[in-house]
Amino acid sequence: MARRPILGLFQDANYAAEAGDALKRAGVDQGDFDFLTDAPYPEGAFGERHERHRLYVFPFLGALVGLTVGIMLTSMTQMAYPLVQGGKPILSLPPMAVITYESTMLSAIIFTIIGIMFESRLPKLKKGLYDTRITEGYIGVLVNTEEEKLSEVSAILSQAGAVDVVRENQDTARA
Amino acid sequence: MAANQAHNAGMWVFPRAEEVSGDMAAKSRAMPRPMVAAITVSAILLVLGIIGFVARAVDDGFTDHAPWGYYAAIFSFLLMVTGAAPLVALVFRFTKSHWRRPLSRVSELFALVGILNLLMFIPLMFVLPAINNPGAGEEAMELRRTIWFEVPIGAPHWWDALGVGFLAVLGLAILWLASVPDLAEARLTSGGMRRKFYSLMAGHWFGTKRQWEMQKAGLAVLGAFYFMFLIWVHFIISTDYGQSLIPGWKDSIFPVLYSLTGLQASLGLILIIMFIMRRWGGYQEYIGISLFWSASKILLGLSMLWVYHVFSFMITYWYGRLEVEQDILKYLFTQSYGGMFAANFFFSFVMPFFLLLWNPVRKTAWGPALAGVAVLIGALLFNLRIFVGAFNAGDVYQHALNGVPPAVWPDIWDIFMVVGGLGAAALIYLTGTRIFPLISVWEIKEGAMYQRMGTFIRGEYLILAKPE
Repeated sequence: MARRPILGLFQDANYAAEAGDALKRAGVDQGDFDFLTDAPYPEGAFGERHERHRLYVFPFLGALVGLTVGIMLTSMTQMAYPLVQGGKPILSLPPMAVITYESTMLSAIIFTIIGIMFESRLPKLKKGLYDTRITEGYIGVLVNTEEEKLSEVSAILSQAGAVDVVRENQDTARA
Repeated sequence: MAANQAHNAGMWVFPRAEEVSGDMAAKSRAMPRPMVAAITVSAILLVLGIIGFVARAVDDGFTDHAPWGYYAAIFSFLLMVTGAAPLVALVFRFTKSHWRRPLSRVSELFALVGILNLLMFIPLMFVLPAINNPGAGEEAMELRRTIWFEVPIGAPHWWDALGVGFLAVLGLAILWLASVPDLAEARLTSGGMRRKFYSLMAGHWFGTKRQWEMQKAGLAVLGAFYFMFLIWVHFIISTDYGQSLIPGWKDSIFPVLYSLTGLQASLGLILIIMFIMRRWGGYQEYIGISLFWSASKILLGLSMLWVYHVFSFMITYWYGRLEVEQDILKYLFTQSYGGMFAANFFFSFVMPFFLLLWNPVRKTAWGPALAGVAVLIGALLFNLRIFVGAFNAGDVYQHALNGVPPAVWPDIWDIFMVVGGLGAAALIYLTGTRIFPLISVWEIKEGAMYQRMGTFIRGEYLILAKPE
């Protein structure tokens, strides 16, 4: 069944929150609608679901990879050329720490940047429904629903106080 | 209420959220005459710098590090100041300060200069003396003093280059992540090449709850990494290109002092830019005096920390009284570069301290900005003193300084390279302001939700919401 986006525009954030409640009451899954804003609103301001993400896994994973590479690089180099310097052991931590710290940081940074791109879903090719009025402070309630439910959702959004309801084929400013 | 209003005049500003986007888009596209003049002057300075660099390379080549002291000093100054600048936004975003909102983009935009830092570092890879002494004998050491111990693969050149390069990459990632909501807005209001660029940079950003949460979490993680990595890069550069080139200089305080000078100077530079924007740039409705007042207290604290670390550095060597320690003090503090140290001390501590100590000055826009000018000059003198001194301290493979070397003053090519470095950084920054809005639009809009004036008994006060 084809799913289509529909966007309700609200001048008042309270009405947008009420639209969210009305959509939930109408049986629309919370994963099927989202609030589009031009600034970060406090968590739960619209009564929306808590978004879970796994971003924090990426830096840890990256750090682990970098740490392993750093330890291997320094220890294997020293084992391959076992020169005793100043009576210190072949595998001594202070000289290893310098390289290991840098390799750990480099890897953690790379993994974090990749993680942000992945978790934000930023490199998405298909463009979504949008309206420039959101940049002027309007709140967008974006609903993805079955084609035959579009009219019902549109009515819910309008009843909640949407100043405009935008559909995909409408001639509206889009990103 | 009237008395209270007079007391707070200009202290807080409340931009209209619905007008910020349009206003910022217009300001980014505009090319006022002072901006054209500034870009032209920066470009001329850059050309002078290139001439100075080519002349120095032709005259002296890259085999001896001594002639490159002033080049190293200006590189270090730029790395120290522009590298630390993005941290100002990150730190105050961590602490959820509302007053920092107008300075976020000004601070993060310095990440662009990271590309210049990396380019300027490349020649320094060639001039740094090898760690292994090619002519080791009875008097000289086999390995010169270094943090790289047994000299692992690529050390120090490639590890230093990786550090400087990744600091630039990390800074650019932070700039992109912090500005992606504004770039997404800009793609809707611009056309032509600008629109294509903004669309590419903004990707699929539409301001969903998930995207805002990811941005917040991403900035927190990258910000923490930036701090950890900046301190590391400051440590390796100040050690490899400063401390390890002066025979017998072993000091754990110097890398800390280096980082501290960077933090102090970067905050000073940001205050100067904020003052210019407020006074002449048409940003008065976005920048209240509260920003200068709040930042000035931190600048005052950093200035006092600076003098504490300088004193700690000096007293350890003064009390040690070994010949090499006395020679280093004479070289960098009292004899060879004594005049430059006095000026450094005046600009990095005396002037900002006495300016910012005075409450009526601290509660203005010009007072903290003037202190910013002072600490910036102080940081430049600090780098000239340390790095020109380090590059001209004699045989790097000796155990200790051989007497007290004389100061080396700049020739015309050195002056060209110093002003050229400053011009190049300014040119990159000014060009960046034509692409990125100088005010973080989304942060100003967010701030507008959480700040307003309210009445309490007879007075009118700022009411701040803390959503977390």
